[in-house]
Amino acid sequence: MATLDIVLLSGLVLASAFAVLAKDLIKAAVALAVSSLLLGIVFFRMNAPFAGVFEISVVAGLITVLFILTIALTRTEGEVRESKTVLRVFPVFFVLFIAIDALVMKGLTAKIATLPAAAESGTFGDVLWKQRTFDLIGQLAVILSGVFAVLALFRKRDKDE
Amino acid sequence: MIFLYIGLPLIVAAVLPLVGKVSKKVLPDVLANGVFLFLFAYAVTGARGLLAGGALHQTFAWFGEPLGIQIAVDGFSLFMLTVVALVSACVGLYSISYMEHYGAKANYYALLLMMVAGMNGLLLVTDLFQIYIFLEVAAVASYALVAFGREQAELEAAFKYLMLSVVASAAVMIAIALLYGLTGSLSFTGVAEGLRQLDAKAAGAIASALFLMGFGLKAALVPFHAWLPDAHPSAPAPISAILSGLLIKVSGVYAMTRIFFHVFGLTPALSDVLMWTGTVSIVVAALLALKQRDMKRMLAYSSISQVGYVVLGIGIGTPLGIAGGLFHLLNHAVAKSLLFLTSGSVQQATGTRNLDEMGGLAKRMPVTSTTSLIGSLSIAGVPPLGGFWSKLLIIMALVQSHRPVLAVIAVLASVLTLWYYLIMQRQAFFGKLNERWAAVKEAPFWMAASTIVLAVLCLVLGLLFSSVVSTWIQPAADVLAQGMGM
Repeated sequence: MATLDIVLLSGLVLASAFAVLAKDLIKAAVALAVSSLLLGIVFFRMNAPFAGVFEISVVAGLITVLFILTIALTRTEGEVRESKTVLRVFPVFFVLFIAIDALVMKGLTAKIATLPAAAESGTFGDVLWKQRTFDLIGQLAVILSGVFAVLALFRKRDKDE
Repeated sequence: MIFLYIGLPLIVAAVLPLVGKVSKKVLPDVLANGVFLFLFAYAVTGARGLLAGGALHQTFAWFGEPLGIQIAVDGFSLFMLTVVALVSACVGLYSISYMEHYGAKANYYALLLMMVAGMNGLLLVTDLFQIYIFLEVAAVASYALVAFGREQAELEAAFKYLMLSVVASAAVMIAIALLYGLTGSLSFTGVAEGLRQLDAKAAGAIASALFLMGFGLKAALVPFHAWLPDAHPSAPAPISAILSGLLIKVSGVYAMTRIFFHVFGLTPALSDVLMWTGTVSIVVAALLALKQRDMKRMLAYSSISQVGYVVLGIGIGTPLGIAGGLFHLLNHAVAKSLLFLTSGSVQQATGTRNLDEMGGLAKRMPVTSTTSLIGSLSIAGVPPLGGFWSKLLIIMALVQSHRPVLAVIAVLASVLTLWYYLIMQRQAFFGKLNERWAAVKEAPFWMAASTIVLAVLCLVLGLLFSSVVSTWIQPAADVLAQGMGM
């Protein structure tokens, strides 16, 4: 594994951890964007350009814009007191995870035999429309569910409610 | 035609919020219930003929160009599609009256249809990644439906449900990634073939454990059950009914069974793990149910316990065990939906879910109390109702496969089930009528009608059990007993 990959993946883990721990929501959203940008680059380096394009344009770009817009439009009404347990427990799990990852995973993945996966073939349109059309329908349905959820949970109260 | 099970609810859901601007109640009621009734009618009449020549695989084309959509139906998925169609049709009818006071009916039906489309999609896919996607479709809709009333308790329950469900989805996703990395394929047959070639025992075991955790969380098996007793009681009654009656079975039991039987193949070790997880769920949840004073919370714990029976039966892996497990899945889907709907009628009439405050309601709500009694007795396994036969099949299968200890536990836990249901019936419906409820009235027409339909079904499933088993259960059990090769 190249040094660049190690730097990218470490950056990804650190940015994700910062997104969880940051108190300021704007900083958390930006950290999340950075982490998905790094992930997008990792996708490119692993010969998955379509996944990389999606990750950077949708997750790092569009979703971050939506997050920041929402945060900017939300009024802050008093601080919500958070439980301190998360802040104490999270670093323990984080260190444990890194330790297990470093000690076990390399040895494990080296030993396991795998079959080759078919490389992404054809144009972007081919993959989306001809190979994984059903995923596309499913993803549309997920987005539609999300939209209906927002409509339902942020609805104005009816007169008869 | 079979694609309609996904396409029709999706399309109608997409137009419902717009329809809601024109007609707030009548059109959403008619459209949504029309979809549910049509899908149910097709499941019981036309769909069976499609399977005459064995499992059906369909691909689709768009102006002559083939599309990457492949769906498959076999006895198991058709059985589950029918159960989903049946329960959602009854829940839809019940919602006509029950959801009046919540407002935003068009939005409610849109979410309900999305949830049904998600479940149906999950039942028809042939690919691991598509299982994940449709799992999410149903899950996202269900989070919003749990929080639909927007009170503090509902929002809190929905949040807890969301958090634990995300952990479940992550576990499933990691397992899928692991299998894709190993075999380079996502389709059930491709992964199964790849695993056979590689003989990857350790990696297969890790993936199985992750699937067990992920789908175990979705099915709320003990020790992954913490979210269910909050989420299911907090939701509006029809949603509680569909969550307990369908969602935990489709996104938990079905997905787990499909993958374990058709991708990994049921090994003796896996069979033991499933049976013991089921048994622990049965006992622990039944003991917890005994102590509950909240009617819907008691029903929620009962769901965990009864799903334990389903997993125990399927986990045995013998044709009789699988048939028993699947028949119990059907009986529980019908009876638990019925019980949650009747609890909704009681809550709407009295404003409480606390059993201590009820009493004597049978005098004021004869239909609700009679139907609730039938549902309780069916789940508790009292003959001649459906639940008796399915539990009997599971216990016979356990004895046949030389597992007397599990058989005894299953029988004893059934007694516990009867015990807590009798407590519920006595406290809520029998005894002296509490003065406070002197003016209480029976549930409105649609609510009462849908509970009557489900109660009659509890009776029919018991009385006609042999023909139900041979027409619906056996073809489904055969598909699983044959193992891999979908």
